Amino acid sequence: MRRYWSGLGLAAVLAAAGCGLGDTGQPAAAPGATATGEVKGKVSLQTWALKPKFTDYMQKVIDSFEKKYPGVEVEWLDQPGEGYSDKVLSQAAGGSLPDVTNLPPEFALPLVKQGLLLDVAQADPAVKDEYVPGGLSAYTYPGVQGVYGYPWYLNTDVNYWNSELMAENGLDAKKPPASFDELVAQARTLKEKSGGKVYLMSRKPELGDFVQAGVKLMSDDGKSFTFNTPEAAALLDKYRDAFKDGLLPRDVLTDTYAGNAKLFNEGTVAWTTGGGNYITSLAVDNPSLAPKVVPSPAFGTPPLYVQGLSVSAKSKNTPAALALARWVTNAENQAAFAHLVAIFPSTKASADDPFFSKSDGTNAGDAKVMAFAALAKAKMLEPVALTEAMKKIVKQQFALAISGEVTSKEALDKAVAKCDELLQN
Amino acid sequence: MAAHAKRVRPGGLAAAGPAEKALRYALLLLVLALTVSPFLWQLSTSLKSLTEDVYSRTPTFLPEHPTLDNYAQVADAIPVWSYAANSLVVAAIVITGNVIGATMAGYALARLRFRGAKLLLGLFLATLVLPGEVTIVSQYVTVRSLGLADTLLGVALPGAIAMLNVLLMRTAFAAIPQEMDEAAVIDGATAWQRLRHIGLPNVRGMLSVITIFTFIGAWDDFLWPLIVLTDPDHYTLTVGLQYLNGTFTSNPRLIAAGTMISFVPIVVVFAALQRYFFRGVEEGAIKG
Amino acid sequence: MTHRRWFTPWLLVAPAVVWLLVFNLWPSLNTVVLAFTNAKPLGGGHFTGLANFARALDDSQLTDALVNSIVYMLVCLPLLTMLPLLLAILVEKRLPGITFFRTAFYTPVVASAVVVALIWGWVLDDRGLVNGFAQWLGVVAAPVPFLTDRWLLLFSAISLTVWKGLGYYMIIYLSALGNVRRELHEAAAVDGAGAVRRFWSVTVPGVRNTMLLVSVLVSVSALRVFSELYVLSNGTGGPGGRDMSVVMLIQLYTRGFSGHLGYASALSIVLFVITIGPMLLLLRLDRKAA
Repeated sequence: MRRYWSGLGLAAVLAAAGCGLGDTGQPAAAPGATATGEVKGKVSLQTWALKPKFTDYMQKVIDSFEKKYPGVEVEWLDQPGEGYSDKVLSQAAGGSLPDVTNLPPEFALPLVKQGLLLDVAQADPAVKDEYVPGGLSAYTYPGVQGVYGYPWYLNTDVNYWNSELMAENGLDAKKPPASFDELVAQARTLKEKSGGKVYLMSRKPELGDFVQAGVKLMSDDGKSFTFNTPEAAALLDKYRDAFKDGLLPRDVLTDTYAGNAKLFNEGTVAWTTGGGNYITSLAVDNPSLAPKVVPSPAFGTPPLYVQGLSVSAKSKNTPAALALARWVTNAENQAAFAHLVAIFPSTKASADDPFFSKSDGTNAGDAKVMAFAALAKAKMLEPVALTEAMKKIVKQQFALAISGEVTSKEALDKAVAKCDELLQN
Repeated sequence: MAAHAKRVRPGGLAAAGPAEKALRYALLLLVLALTVSPFLWQLSTSLKSLTEDVYSRTPTFLPEHPTLDNYAQVADAIPVWSYAANSLVVAAIVITGNVIGATMAGYALARLRFRGAKLLLGLFLATLVLPGEVTIVSQYVTVRSLGLADTLLGVALPGAIAMLNVLLMRTAFAAIPQEMDEAAVIDGATAWQRLRHIGLPNVRGMLSVITIFTFIGAWDDFLWPLIVLTDPDHYTLTVGLQYLNGTFTSNPRLIAAGTMISFVPIVVVFAALQRYFFRGVEEGAIKG
Repeated sequence: MTHRRWFTPWLLVAPAVVWLLVFNLWPSLNTVVLAFTNAKPLGGGHFTGLANFARALDDSQLTDALVNSIVYMLVCLPLLTMLPLLLAILVEKRLPGITFFRTAFYTPVVASAVVVALIWGWVLDDRGLVNGFAQWLGVVAAPVPFLTDRWLLLFSAISLTVWKGLGYYMIIYLSALGNVRRELHEAAAVDGAGAVRRFWSVTVPGVRNTMLLVSVLVSVSALRVFSELYVLSNGTGGPGGRDMSVVMLIQLYTRGFSGHLGYASALSIVLFVITIGPMLLLLRLDRKAA
């Protein structure tokens, strides 16, 4: 518990830590740096929670890099999963950002605004030809020129169905619902047949669901939120009615996204969404359930999840940093990574690899192929400007609307007002 | 120290009758059932083999195929020993600082009169309610400016004298009867002598309490060491154990085993110190 | 007490005072400054006067949080001042195996949040132990929403706090009980006082100072509760966030790259002003006792 306590205010370190109270609010222009120069000397690489499972893989990638460029020495730092944003934040504020850092797009944005990251497209123009557009656009931000990270690996969501639970209750996992209304109908069947013991749905709507329903989340200038539309309210109303009829477990009111996976793991819920590697990890948590899971493609536009390697603008060894970031994310190394774990390369050259398009016949293999196919049309559904605090407020208001205590319109208006306040302050 | 005092059983009135004993054990078992479940849960999870579900709706409490594999895997995955050594170094510094610093200050505040004592006490008390959410803030800056970033000393420093411990020690010293001190003053004992011969023997209980609190605080702290330390070789156990929670892999059995490993020293320290809780005034002897 | 060298007390308190200034007061001063700005974790901020405080006045979540914190304190205070004392008396006596019980009672204090959340969820959720039992008995028709109703969630969190606090405060009491002189107990027993009378007339006065300290610690930590509500609501603070405590609210605005440090600092100061109440009360009681 102490852990949560100590998390407080950590961010505040930074305000005090040297940035002071000076005016630096303007998005800084990307510092120009060139990739020219010899690749040698020391360069640091920070990854996120890859040890110990992928130690061998990373070490091999690094060794081959050092072999290719004699005279270069890579210092590899792998940070634990928890507290990563705090760690990166303190590094950024303390001026000790590693030369190359694994940053998801939403972590990179605030650093870009402070001019702490390098525009890799300017330093290395070939980037635009070698990586898939979805990956590149994740590191391109409205109002800022440039690309601020080499896309590393991609993932998306697939629907997963518990075939046993569905079969027991008169449903067929091979014919999963294809639309929201069908989902509600099947959820009703499941509830009635099981006497309310198990559920199909166990997830609150998210802003991403609004995008599917054609709701525009933000204004074009990115200065305000716009998701308090009648369409959004109608979708919330549908969830509210389903909740009232007992089609969702009451936990959805307080559960985070992970709650849904937990209920699925327990066998209380028959539907969840997850990345292409979900069945593999489920096999560890609940080995008896994993073989009964049937995947199907995500509803509507699949969400896109992107990881990337950014290069510090203050790197003392830019040529080596760029070369290293490019090396780790090149087609060959990404493909090798993807063979270890169900992620997908962000390099165009990997698209034709049959490994991703052919299933080995297992349900995990099917899921991987579905996820790979979905990547082609996957999009980042939530704007990067959406901060953790905004997400939480949206979640709270949605829960309130679904519980029926306020109308959907009231909840949406309040969420938009709060998010705007946070955005503009 | 008076020899006869040793025989006194703390809290012991007349020897407990069988009925009282039975009642006491019944109550003890009741509280036990309420408190010990998380511990058992973790223990059980850490002993479960890979073929067992850990997230089923009706989890079994006893592992079907108990195994120590998970412990071996943890030790294999991360350098448990060197992380634990780092944690011990931090805990040792923090405990030393608190035992010395809090004892001295607690004694002065409780037993000596000096100008500004009230104000100081007020300030110490105020730290309990100061907005702690943001105090880590400048601590990082301070530690960095002292050149202690990425060192275990830097991790230990801010907690090396905790204000709460000063207050706890003050309460303990204040409970010593005034007569003992007065007699010593008449004998011409200085403040330091009184602290050593009357004060210290009477506050061993509280000293062991702050040692435990401090040990656990230092041992369990996560975010502060993570921020201060840069080089993963310097990580403390709590930070290092987070590696078990990987990007694509998180095996609850391994995490439980890791938690149990970090739990052992706490239990040892606690079990070793708890008997001192009772060394109160009586055993300190009023001879002073 | 007289002593010959005036500086002796100052020598004794010097190290603690240094820590007080460097690691406690100085950072708090920083908070005060930030409260009047719109500072962000990365990159500056402007002086914004009282804007943060005006915003706090207008924040309905803060009102909810304050109500929660005060209810929390009022319920926790009597429970956590008395129950751990009783528990300490129970484990004080040396019986075979008592070390085991003492250690076991302390384990909730150090149990990991994740496991505690898992277990309490398992006990309290709609399909949990308590609801299962109540439904089996036929006491309730529908599951009781312990974890999703505003007040029930608050009281569930309180029971979690009490559960965790038992062992923690038990220890503080244990060390104080050693100081309650045996003769007093014996004298009272000779006078024919029963266990209950002796508790009120000997034990309670004997640990009075400690009780005061414990009650302050309990009130302050109740007003600043965080982890229990966080864990039981999975960090959401319940529907509408109405089960957030002030510290959860502060955390909401502090965390992450886009933290609103200025506003969070202002909330910290509001919380400080509120927690100072029980503190002053203790000082007054303490003075009366002296």
